[in-house]
Amino acid sequence: MENADVTKLAPAKSRSNERHVRNRPPYWMVIPAVVLLILIVVAPFLVSIYTSFTKLDQYTIANWTHAPFVGLKNYISAFRQGNAIGASALQSLWVSVAFSVLTTVCITPIGIVAALLVNKPFRGRALVRALFLLPYVMPIFVNAITWRLLFMNGWGLIDRVLSALHLASKNTYWLIGPHSFWAMVIADVWSSWPFIYLMVLAGLQGIPGDLYESAHMDGASPTRSFFSITLPMLRPILGLALLLSTLNHFNNFTLPFIMFGTPPSPQADVLPLNVYVTSFQTFNFGLGAAMSLITLVLMLIPAFFYIRMLRLGEDVS
Amino acid sequence: MSNSLARQRSYWNKVRFVGIVIFAIAILLPLAYVILVSLTPDTEVGGGAILPTHIAWNNYVMMWSTVHLARDIVNSVIIAGLTGVCSTIVALGAAYVVSRFRFKGRKPFMFSLISMQTIPQVMMLLPLFVIIVIIQNVLNVHLVGQYYTIIITYMTFALPFACWLLLSYMANIPVELEEAAQMDGCTRAQVVYHVVLPLILPGLVVTFVFSFLLGWSDVLFASVLTTPSTQTVAVGLQAYMSSSDAGGAVYWGQLMAASLTSGVPIVVIFLFFQKYIIGGLANGAVKG
Repeated sequence: MENADVTKLAPAKSRSNERHVRNRPPYWMVIPAVVLLILIVVAPFLVSIYTSFTKLDQYTIANWTHAPFVGLKNYISAFRQGNAIGASALQSLWVSVAFSVLTTVCITPIGIVAALLVNKPFRGRALVRALFLLPYVMPIFVNAITWRLLFMNGWGLIDRVLSALHLASKNTYWLIGPHSFWAMVIADVWSSWPFIYLMVLAGLQGIPGDLYESAHMDGASPTRSFFSITLPMLRPILGLALLLSTLNHFNNFTLPFIMFGTPPSPQADVLPLNVYVTSFQTFNFGLGAAMSLITLVLMLIPAFFYIRMLRLGEDVS
Repeated sequence: MSNSLARQRSYWNKVRFVGIVIFAIAILLPLAYVILVSLTPDTEVGGGAILPTHIAWNNYVMMWSTVHLARDIVNSVIIAGLTGVCSTIVALGAAYVVSRFRFKGRKPFMFSLISMQTIPQVMMLLPLFVIIVIIQNVLNVHLVGQYYTIIITYMTFALPFACWLLLSYMANIPVELEEAAQMDGCTRAQVVYHVVLPLILPGLVVTFVFSFLLGWSDVLFASVLTTPSTQTVAVGLQAYMSSSDAGGAVYWGQLMAASLTSGVPIVVIFLFFQKYIIGGLANGAVKG
């Protein structure tokens, strides 16, 4: 009603006004997000950089601006072997790299096979698809508790099965010592393969069916079709999936934290967990900040490729 | 030719069937074991036999007092729920402006959104903690362990994610509809309320669900920033388990029952909204 009145009273003026309003972004809508992000992401980020150059601990935290400035000392001690109660940052770094690369390598073929299994319609497909998502949908802390139980020394299902098959001693310590790395990898592979599965499933939707038909006409076997059509067509989405998987696994804190507790054995002491223990259990905040900045610098390598793959801002809506 | 095709098809059907069975066993076996242990009496967990002599439904009763499960679940619902609501509302405004307007700082904003998602969470926790301690000291208030403190810190990871998700939904809404509404004299706020909101609703639901799940699953932030009265279910279970590291007795049956109880609602929500996600996308395609 009100709008109709406005157009009746001053049509020409309202028209030019309208143009003006349409072209000026309503900044008030974006400001809450910008302010919040500056407050909870950018400011902490800057604090983190400053903290990494100071000797901040539980005694100086109350008066943090007066924490002694130590320059690069934290960065140097992060790489010295055996400084904290757990592994050194350098050792944790290798654990994290090995963990994220190994799990990504393991889940990729599993995810592709799973997606191929349910790609073509069949009776009960919806149910199978829901089932395949189950490990991924479960909160990661539930998965971690599940695998902690399965790897329990002596009476966990894994020790029972392995000893029944005479493959390993019933007292294989999976949650402490050198085996803990493998326990972590197995639990993570079980929890995260549906990520690749989902990405590949989305990628398979984009492959036109007549490609397969003509390949079949030319006498190509399904195996040949897979390697000559499916895999090349999946390459872009698979590249993105591998990158994201590596990033996510590198930052995985919850799984080892719940499976092994703190401090974990050095073989499973991934970098995020090490930073956590250094910061919040030995209260070496400065060293923790330096270690997390080292983590960030390393994350920038895959992140750089990730952002480039997204071709940000080139889309026109 | 058609005979060989039929033979080939039945061969691959068999392969598919066997493959699905193997996957199903690999997925269900660990969960079945958890269910089994959750129904095993405490005295028999860790004994020689796998199957219990009798089913201990009692675990599902006792767990409520052993790990303060009800209190923790209520905390998780409040914290994850409000994280989802706040992130979705704030992200809606940002996603709308960024997807509809070209302005200075638009591209840097998008770049920083995606970069924020790659920052390790553990890196943000420490400075957030330092900032919270500073504010506490300056204003002489107590912030650690308060719901609003936890919710705001959760938005560190939930908000960039929500913005990004809503941006992709926003791109699917035709601008022409908004222009038509503006021609009819709607103000910007009216356009958003009457035109954009109904169309983006499925996207909002999905964004809320994902932000909720992020909040529900977080252990890192919650383990530092909550107190026993505001701890989430993830931290509650973790704390209970770590008492076994310290030499305390753990009631595994009850722990597994509690763990399942905190996981199953999430699975149900997800499977329910999985259809919603696909349906929402289909609707968008039809309308567009």
